[in-house]
Amino acid sequence: MPNEEVLLRVEHLCQYFRSGKFENKAVDDVSFDIHRGEVFGLVGESGCGKTTTGRTIIKLYDATSGDVYFKGVRIAAGKRSYQDAIRKAKADLKEKLKTASAEEAAALKAECDRIVAENKEKIRAAEEDVRSCDRVYSRNLCEKLTADYEPRIAAASGEEKAKLEKEYRNELYKAKHTKLVTQIQMIFQDPIASLDPRMTVREIISEGLIIQGERDQKVIDEKVYEMLELVGLVREHAGRYPHEFSGGQRQRIGIARSIIMKPELIIADEPVSALDVSIQAQVINLMNELREKFGLTILFIAHDLSVVKYFSDRIGVMYFGKLVELAPSDELFLHPLHPYTRSLLSAIPLPDPVYEKTRKRIVYNPLVEHDYSTSTPTLREVLPGHFVMCNDAEFEKYRAEVGQ
Amino acid sequence: MGKILEVKHLSISFRTPGGILHAVRDISFELERGETLSIVGESGSGKSVTSKAILGILAGNSIVESGEILYDGRDLLRLPETDMVRIRGDKISMIFQDPLSSLNPIVKIGHQITEAMLLKNKVSRKESRAEFNRLLAILRDHMIAAVGGESAPEAAHVKEMVETFDRFNSEGIKWESEYNTAHANAEELISKIDDFLFLSEKHQRLDVRATLKELHKRLGTVKAPFLTTKYDDRIAALQAKLTEVTPLYKKGGTQTVEELPEPIVEASRDVRACMNEIVGQTRPNFFRIGYYMMKNPTADLGAQPVEEVNEMALRYLNEDFMNEYLRLEKAGVRHSFEEALEQKKKVVGELEEAMTWYASEFTKKEAEEKARVLADAVEASIDRLETNKDSTAYTFRSSLNGAIQKYFNAVVNNPKEEARFARQTRRRDALIARGRTVDWKVVPKTVYDLGDLRAEIVGLIRRLKDKYDAYIAAAETIDLDARSIDLIDYFKDKASQAVYRVTKRMAKEQAIKLMDEVGIPDSRIRYNQYPFEFSGGMRQRIVIAIALSANPDILICDEPTTALDVTIQSQILELINKLKAERKLSVIFITHDLGVVANMADRIAVMYAGKIVEFGTSEDVFYRAAHPYTWALLSSMPDLDTSEKLEAIPGTPPNMIFPPVGDAFAARNKYALKVDFEKQPPLFRISETHSAATWLLHPDAPHVDPPKIITERIERMKARGGAGHAE
Repeated sequence: MPNEEVLLRVEHLCQYFRSGKFENKAVDDVSFDIHRGEVFGLVGESGCGKTTTGRTIIKLYDATSGDVYFKGVRIAAGKRSYQDAIRKAKADLKEKLKTASAEEAAALKAECDRIVAENKEKIRAAEEDVRSCDRVYSRNLCEKLTADYEPRIAAASGEEKAKLEKEYRNELYKAKHTKLVTQIQMIFQDPIASLDPRMTVREIISEGLIIQGERDQKVIDEKVYEMLELVGLVREHAGRYPHEFSGGQRQRIGIARSIIMKPELIIADEPVSALDVSIQAQVINLMNELREKFGLTILFIAHDLSVVKYFSDRIGVMYFGKLVELAPSDELFLHPLHPYTRSLLSAIPLPDPVYEKTRKRIVYNPLVEHDYSTSTPTLREVLPGHFVMCNDAEFEKYRAEVGQ
Repeated sequence: MGKILEVKHLSISFRTPGGILHAVRDISFELERGETLSIVGESGSGKSVTSKAILGILAGNSIVESGEILYDGRDLLRLPETDMVRIRGDKISMIFQDPLSSLNPIVKIGHQITEAMLLKNKVSRKESRAEFNRLLAILRDHMIAAVGGESAPEAAHVKEMVETFDRFNSEGIKWESEYNTAHANAEELISKIDDFLFLSEKHQRLDVRATLKELHKRLGTVKAPFLTTKYDDRIAALQAKLTEVTPLYKKGGTQTVEELPEPIVEASRDVRACMNEIVGQTRPNFFRIGYYMMKNPTADLGAQPVEEVNEMALRYLNEDFMNEYLRLEKAGVRHSFEEALEQKKKVVGELEEAMTWYASEFTKKEAEEKARVLADAVEASIDRLETNKDSTAYTFRSSLNGAIQKYFNAVVNNPKEEARFARQTRRRDALIARGRTVDWKVVPKTVYDLGDLRAEIVGLIRRLKDKYDAYIAAAETIDLDARSIDLIDYFKDKASQAVYRVTKRMAKEQAIKLMDEVGIPDSRIRYNQYPFEFSGGMRQRIVIAIALSANPDILICDEPTTALDVTIQSQILELINKLKAERKLSVIFITHDLGVVANMADRIAVMYAGKIVEFGTSEDVFYRAAHPYTWALLSSMPDLDTSEKLEAIPGTPPNMIFPPVGDAFAARNKYALKVDFEKQPPLFRISETHSAATWLLHPDAPHVDPPKIITERIERMKARGGAGHAE
């Protein structure tokens, strides 16, 4: 069961891509928490930034702005908001100096310098955090190991001492190579493109372990076999190449590759979209089993709402880089508040021909639905746990709708 | 209604390095006019192969083992490539799964959409003319024969009448062609002005003065009797106005347009309004007018209102010519019908005799000779004046030859296949006896039973005979008068098709209309863009627009929405449904997503391992599914109310190089009976529309309920008021 411990916190995350002079805001000010043990679904149409969000969290991209905290440690931080603050302060100063008197000017300058220094400090902190979060983590691990082993080594003698020392060295080597971010793992959408065709399944699955410093081939093999059996493949498959497998089996290899690192958070980026219906069910069932077994936390990114509904505890709906609604999954399907969510829900096809022939799709046109000329929308809590992107007027409307 | 496409006993396999892969194994279905037939199955079940076979675009290593695909009196599997290109895209069109790879990346999409229209128009003009002449010649012969042959006193009269019919049709065509050209010019002018105003409004690069000059010139080409007689003065005035306003725009040459002076905009709008009026006029009936003009070449009909002219010409035509002609034509049609009926009665006997002859052994030479004689007789018995072609008779020769060919191939290949199988088995056994581990299997032998193949030939003949028997029995009830009228309409159609010319401009306008129809905004700008400038959903819409550009009868959609997300998918499906209703398309919809099928399909065929395992209306399949595979498919997809564990189908589909002996699904089926592993189940009939191939439907089989997840879902659907109506 999900508990209250926040495993991943995303705060005001922005990810912009530059294309020529134009800046593409793929993810724009997205905030959410993921609790330990829950499945958080992220839905939206293609191009709305859900995959980019996942990739920024795992640091495949450098965040433009905003912070990502994993287990309370800041692992990704963007600098843009601080830079903007500096720029704004300087521009303000310039504007005000035009009319200000001499003594006022001095005060204004001091104020501006203060803001600049403050934000520069923040930028430095962000850079430092992003660079050293892994180093700090592994240093802590090493210290813990030393504290654990040293008294035991001191107490032991002879053969036992040598054995302990060897074990200690080995563990220390591993700890030095461990990174915090490897506790977040990713499962990719396309099982064909995400597996190297020139590596055997054994090499693919064990790659992470080797990078993490595991040097004992026996241990590696044992772990690979264990993982293969866990995901419903057999030992003999370890020596084969990806092209010898069907789509569903390839996706299983991708899952085995990510859970061998004993991750706490898995980012599953459309893991079943490329699979046949019957195979989809196999993979979903497998992920459900693994989740129960390891108490995994999953960020589940998909566009198929029936699958997301089935699989997730909470769901966030994204539209053009913004998170427009966030609610527990039953609540979301019971009371969809944001017009985009309604439009999305109305587009789900169901295996019921009579119902299907009368189903009407709701069209979402943001220009018609919202009037944001007077007040800008923010994410607000309409019901406990149910957040909607809205402005004051809409907030009142939504509250009335849910009977508050 | 009526069948538009019939697939009969189709089997297709592929030559692969591993052996022969049996992709499609003996499937049959029919596509009704205006319905959507959905083919559902996992990847590798042969659904795409079937659709590609219909279009004749199978990969090079494919072998069509047997079967027929009948469309419009022809067997698509045996059609030469030169004829197939006429059908592909024109009559049967396809939307592919991946929109990116089915568009040419270096050609603008406007060109890709109009290409088919222009090509098709060119061909159809030529063909229509040829068809007109061919059919008229046949009709003439029958009309002469009906009045008593060449020597009869009335023969000369008949000849004269037919000649008149031909002549006044040509006369009408001449007028119509002139009218069409001017009409097209007017339409082009409208499109030109639309472009001009649009571009200048958006401040694009344009040569304004040259454009205005061209408008002036084009205005002069809008001139034809009936079309512009009333407008001649107005056009002249507009021309004068254009000349007057042109100097108001100072800059010459191509450059960014500044704000246009008001008089120029106004003048262009006036021209457009006038052209719109011209284009919007009632179309004269040139079939009637042609006759009148032929008789009175000096008459000036153009000044009178079109409706009156139409009426007057019709009266004149009927009194002076048509009543008499119709009498003769009816006689001709009757003659042709009776002659064909006579022949049919005769052929039935021959067919019966052939059935017994082909049932026993025969030599190749004899069989081919007999087939030739039989096919000749059958072809003689076809009523050529029937515009609604009977495909069984038309394709009889090729079907019969194909079946005989298959028989003799089997005669030659069977012993070879036996020998190969024995040799490989021996080798494998020897290796195993020596204690080696053998990691290869012996490819099972494909030996045809000669008796079965003969039965196939006999069955082919019997089908035709049954059809003829039914025809002869119903001969009394056929309405020959209606058929005669139909024939004249057919002639009229062909005649006007022969002069209907599509210019590039018209094609562009049509393409832009089509792009609007499929929901592409700003189509006028989009027309000149390349495929990479579009998003996935937009690209798929363009592919749909291209598929529709030639106005096909049948649209094959091969997983058109698999690569798209829910909202776009929903839009595309709505679009296909809308177009289907508007254009009376028949759709074959291939997918693996049952949710999508519920929305689209009238009837559903569920395919597994190259066979159709269940077939029925969508209500049948969703509410009363009978095959375990359909159950498994339904229960493995979560819907919004599912909370329990999904029932996944264990394992993977079988390797079709070694097709399983019994029911192909048996190995993954938890309801499998012992007989499922031994014998293939036949297609059991459940109701008039519903059938399924599973031994569970056999009277001796134990009673099995569908999985709980499905029954519960159906309960829920009933509660919602869905399935309740279907009972």
